[in-house]
Amino acid sequence: MRGSDTTSAHDFAKLSIAVITERDDDGERLIRELQRLRAQVHHLWPVPQQLPVDYDVIVCDLIEDLPSRLPWLPGEPDCALVLIVSEHRPFSLKLLHRCAAQAVLHYPVSPVAVQTSLALAREHHLYERRLRGRIEKLDENLRTMRSVERAKSIVMRSKNLDEEAAYHFLRRQAMARRVSIGVIANAIIDSQELLG
Amino acid sequence: MTRETTSEPWRVGVLFSQSGFMAVIEETQLRGTLMAIDEINDAGGINGRQLEPVIYDPGSEARAFGQLAKKLMVEDGVNTIFGCYTSSSRKAVLPVVERLNGLLWYPTLYEGFEFSPNVIYTGAAPNQNSFELCRVLMEAYGTRFFFVGSDYVYPRESNRIMRELVRNSGGEVVGERYLRFGADRKEFQPLMHEIKDAQPDVIFSTVVGDSTIYLYQSYIDAGFDPKTMPIASLTTTEAEIKAMGFDVGEGHITAAPYFQGVGNERNSTFVSLYKKRYGEDQPTNMCLEAAYFQVHVFAKTLEETNSMDTEQLRALVMGSVFEAPQGEVAINPVCGHTDLWTRIGRANEKGQFDIVYESGRRVKADPYLIGYSRSLAFG
Repeated sequence: MRGSDTTSAHDFAKLSIAVITERDDDGERLIRELQRLRAQVHHLWPVPQQLPVDYDVIVCDLIEDLPSRLPWLPGEPDCALVLIVSEHRPFSLKLLHRCAAQAVLHYPVSPVAVQTSLALAREHHLYERRLRGRIEKLDENLRTMRSVERAKSIVMRSKNLDEEAAYHFLRRQAMARRVSIGVIANAIIDSQELLG
Repeated sequence: MTRETTSEPWRVGVLFSQSGFMAVIEETQLRGTLMAIDEINDAGGINGRQLEPVIYDPGSEARAFGQLAKKLMVEDGVNTIFGCYTSSSRKAVLPVVERLNGLLWYPTLYEGFEFSPNVIYTGAAPNQNSFELCRVLMEAYGTRFFFVGSDYVYPRESNRIMRELVRNSGGEVVGERYLRFGADRKEFQPLMHEIKDAQPDVIFSTVVGDSTIYLYQSYIDAGFDPKTMPIASLTTTEAEIKAMGFDVGEGHITAAPYFQGVGNERNSTFVSLYKKRYGEDQPTNMCLEAAYFQVHVFAKTLEETNSMDTEQLRALVMGSVFEAPQGEVAINPVCGHTDLWTRIGRANEKGQFDIVYESGRRVKADPYLIGYSRSLAFG
């Protein structure tokens, strides 16, 4: 159901969107706007106990217990989330914060509002995900860096190479075996241990 | 900042397992937390308002920690959480407190190499326990190490550091085994055969939870002698020793910022208060002590901020100094970890640790081991 993750934030065609709101005049207008952008729109009502996860974007009424109905942990969202607020429903900034959403729409919607909210939500969602990925990589790199340094000094000694050449050696080995340099480094450290 | 004139309680979240295989140690952290909260409330609360804990039992399941942290923050409206023992549970809570900008107070030693602006770490980082432990073990017992651990993040990461230390100091790792979380007694038997064959000088254990007890009991069954080949650990505290039996634990080594046997007045008060509350036969331990003093550090900070806002609390807690049962500790303003004492103890026949090494003052936390070379300079 989910569209392509590589779609740019401004390309709404093929984007799969769940719209969770009542099909009254306001709801119909929102759905029409989204369809006009050639997005794949799926309507759900009432708000399910657990929101679905297999959409690119979820556009949902901000209801009192929405945070508990989000299936993911704040900080690890599966979809971009756009909240719908309206004059007829109670609303608080605290509730907004707890949903950890990426954008807000206000009823009645205008075409510009729908486009801008959608673009921002998608953009922020993808950006957060890239950042999370970068942090994961950083953590991993930090751990491998120590092994790589240790392996480098073993290679320098055993093959009588300078620092630069030892590093190139590790990199070549990693490329030839199609594994990460950390894997090679650990293998060298382990074999050194075996050989004594 | 306007001072609020409400008598409404300050609500805080508490997440320690009261069931499952981690309960043996996390239960004591819960006790330490509640004891501090009651002390604060008995003294009139913070700026006239009581501390009200919202307590959940994640039952030793990492996933449950994440979900309950979310529940605490989005349903109970809590902003500060005291909790977590295992690194897996901390990592499950991390995205929640980071996205919603809460503050997790984490009272457990861990493998280091982490820094979150939404966590205050009050347990030991590797430079505060592993380094000195490795030196003492090599000097007293020998250079051949056998690693045993529970199979999760902390033991593997912690052993990575220990392995570097051992190897670069002329030692050797002669075996390395990981047992599943909650491994039972019979799963340790083959391991004991393996250890017998490998003939190490030291068994370095990062086994946690109930399995700790089976490890030490199987060691006795195998007929090993702690005088020549002790189990050395960063996680076996008075609580685990009590659970396994004093005779089973006797002679084995643990590195920790705190032991019940620490001789100062602050600690005597702490220990007798704890015993009065939970029973004469209940020992204190390092995880419980950290869980206890971190609530007091929080309370002292909250008194000044008069706000649960994470930015304000964090800004003020950085660099603050506190008289803990282990001695004077400080929240390190660079990394949000705690400058703690380094101590090494040998378990005696009363289930207590005789302190064989003490740093004499607090040691600066260095979670990324930036200021440490990878070998121990013996001299």
